Amino acid sequence: MVLIRRLLGLVVLITLLSVGIGAAQEGAGDQLTGVAAEQQANIAKLTSQVDRLDKDIDENIEDDARLVEIRLALEDIQSAVLKSGVAFRPTINDINTKLNALGPVPKEGQPPEPDDKATQRAALNAQKAQINHVIGQAEDLLVRVNGLVNKVSTARRDLFANTLMKRYQLRSAIGPDVGKAVEDQVTMLSRNVAAWFRFVVRFKLQAALAATFFASLVGGLSYFFGRRVIARLLHKDPEANPDYLHRLSAAFWSTLFPSLALGLFLGLTLGLYQSYNVLRGDISNYFISLLQTLFTSFFVNRLATSILSPDAPNWRLVRIEAGPARILIWLATVAALVVGLDRFTGIITESLGSPLSVTILKGLVAALLVGVLLLVFGSIRPFADKDGAPQPWPTWFRGTIYAIGAATILASLTGYISLAQFVSRQIVVTGAWIATAYIGLLASRAISDEGAFAHTTAGRWFRNSYNTEASKLDQLGVLTSVVINLLIVVVFLPVVLFQWGFQAGDIAVWMRRLGSGFQIGTFVFSPLAIITGLIIFGVGYFITRWFQSWIDDTVMARGRVDPGVRNSIRTVVGYAGMALAALVAISAAGLNLSNLALIAGGLSLGIGFGLQNVVSNFVSGLILLVERPFKVGDWVVAGDVSGTVRKISVRATEIETFQRQTVILPNSQLINNAVGNWTHRNRLGRIDVPVAVAYGADVEHVHAILLDLARNNPLVLKNPEPFVLFAGFADTSINFEIRVFLADISNGSVVQNELRFGLVKAFEQEGIELAHVPRPELAGKRQLPLGDPVDTMELPSDDMQSQAKGRKRKPDPS
Amino acid sequence: MLKMIKSIVAVLALVACGSTAMAASAVNLDSETRTIIVTEGGNRQQIDLAPGETVDFCLNGCFVTLPNGDREALSGGETVEISGGAAKIK
Repeated sequence: MVLIRRLLGLVVLITLLSVGIGAAQEGAGDQLTGVAAEQQANIAKLTSQVDRLDKDIDENIEDDARLVEIRLALEDIQSAVLKSGVAFRPTINDINTKLNALGPVPKEGQPPEPDDKATQRAALNAQKAQINHVIGQAEDLLVRVNGLVNKVSTARRDLFANTLMKRYQLRSAIGPDVGKAVEDQVTMLSRNVAAWFRFVVRFKLQAALAATFFASLVGGLSYFFGRRVIARLLHKDPEANPDYLHRLSAAFWSTLFPSLALGLFLGLTLGLYQSYNVLRGDISNYFISLLQTLFTSFFVNRLATSILSPDAPNWRLVRIEAGPARILIWLATVAALVVGLDRFTGIITESLGSPLSVTILKGLVAALLVGVLLLVFGSIRPFADKDGAPQPWPTWFRGTIYAIGAATILASLTGYISLAQFVSRQIVVTGAWIATAYIGLLASRAISDEGAFAHTTAGRWFRNSYNTEASKLDQLGVLTSVVINLLIVVVFLPVVLFQWGFQAGDIAVWMRRLGSGFQIGTFVFSPLAIITGLIIFGVGYFITRWFQSWIDDTVMARGRVDPGVRNSIRTVVGYAGMALAALVAISAAGLNLSNLALIAGGLSLGIGFGLQNVVSNFVSGLILLVERPFKVGDWVVAGDVSGTVRKISVRATEIETFQRQTVILPNSQLINNAVGNWTHRNRLGRIDVPVAVAYGADVEHVHAILLDLARNNPLVLKNPEPFVLFAGFADTSINFEIRVFLADISNGSVVQNELRFGLVKAFEQEGIELAHVPRPELAGKRQLPLGDPVDTMELPSDDMQSQAKGRKRKPDPS
Repeated sequence: MLKMIKSIVAVLALVACGSTAMAASAVNLDSETRTIIVTEGGNRQQIDLAPGETVDFCLNGCFVTLPNGDREALSGGETVEISGGAAKIK
């Protein structure tokens, strides 16, 4: 190392001297050499690391976990090598710029360039050659590292295949000596355990007792109190007829909760034992494995029981008869126990250094047991037909189970014990996980059903707290189901992969791949970046919504800002925030915004033609928000539409007519055409009530009555004061018009009604005749001369009233 | 309206996806074919660039030997412009 450093120092010195002139002129030469030297040292360091890893691979060719670590280390070196290569970039650019400044080399026949220029050029080229050399080294190293990565992959593949396909000689395992060997091992184990036990009793008794007591206390308490808290979820009423989601939630909780309680107890026991040093090295391993076995068996048992629910038929997730269900539960538990114990004894034999025959025997027994259990499992008749006769599994399922069971037995009998062990372990553990994941999938499907989410606790909570609509709840249900599906993939896939012999490092490598993206043709796809973009957009969306309601409900509501302004600001903030979130998300997703701009530019012509109306409405919407000719709640008249403004969006405005019809009016219409607003500055407005009295009435008296009527109405404003217009003389009537101002124009109909009712009553009292056009029948019957207002005075008062109230009402046919 | 804006954005994003700037690209501005040698993922590969041609390569970083013998390391995302046998990296 020292030698290398000295050599490097020498190289640096020589380089410094050789480029001395250039350096003196440019003042940057020493820095350049610095970079080259630095990177060369760096590469030398990396090379030595690679040498070490190379040796490591050969030494650990049997150790899968170590190989994965080596691979990760190699990938780190790969990026370090690249980085060291990239570090030259500024220096190279610098040199190239200087060389360009010097101009091209004079060709033959041209006069040679001056000496200082030639020296400078030579110096620069020398530097460049040096850099090229170092980069070349880096490049070779990268190639070598890649070769090593491939070597690791091959080694791991071979390792997996070799371990699985290793064939043992069964004769040696089932010879006469094996009984003795087993006996020896059992004696050794019991001696070990007894020694540990003595150690505990002598030195750690109090600690062990206290730890056990404390762990049982916590586990027990959490079980009993937790049971109380979620009693409603756990209770399976045999009479009830629960829907799928309820059954599912009951199954979920009755699996999870006891398992959690047991896990808490076991975990605490283990943790406390370890922290009090109750366990010794080998015993600790046994203990952990034993606890794992216990926990797994318990979990499998609970899971099977809650899915099959033999005691409460209405709560079953899978319709399997009670009798077979009990056998299935038993089978699953025993299988889990067998696999767990196989692992447990495996750890024991490993730490005792047992002879191969014992290991083989143990594996053989476990694999045979699982094989037999599988055959029994396949032969069960779990279903019942209409008459109650038992029905077997579907043929394909039964066939698969039989095939796997037979293969396990056959493999173990022919000596492929590792393979048989692997398969049986996969069947039990992967089977349990797949069953759990399947329930999760069923749950997500059930929750996305129409209206299902509304009946869940979360749905009820949303409805009660936020008054969420049914359609929104449905959307939430779909969202939940998507999240559940994602969770299943994220949680269960790694677990199953671990089971299949993948290492954490493998998954790390995949994650890196995902992160850096992969290329399909020229299409670069980076899921991680896209997911990041989506998450950023989601966060941006929620921040925008939150900011919107904060500024609206807190700032502007307190500031007594006009509702129209509030609405405008709210809308503008919403759109701006959304656009910002989208832009940030797009750039986070690795999409080039300049590309986007290019495409937008190209499309703008198309947009100009195709989306002309939309764009015009959009711009009109912005103008409406800024100019605010009307606000939400205003009574507007736009063309044929008259009603209250409900919502101003960027494209269209919603107007609710008085018949409660919602009219969606494009904003451009509201901008380009005249819009009447009854309540623009204030709600004050005038209504006119025309009145026609028959000729012959005392007009002064009529005028006084009308004015009096208007003045006495409580809703009519005193100022501007009511006015009664003598409107003119028609053919058959003298026309008046009551003009009154109202504080709130929306009371117009009420006031009109009151005025007309009052008017009829007053005229009746005063004997003033309302003008009317006599109908032909009426005229015929009563012999009334047309247009004779005096005669009409003699009409019975009920007739007159009926005519005054509604001119369109048909006369009594009698 | 919002839905429409969203779908427009989605379409634009999809279109833009096709030309994401993750890989490095090389463009030959000379009037003759140029050859670069790319070392990526353990293998050396020779890429011939016709005049005016643009090629995407080097997704996760690579070393490249340029026509004039210069070597450069790329981390991906750069644009290499070859003119007169020399390269300018942006």
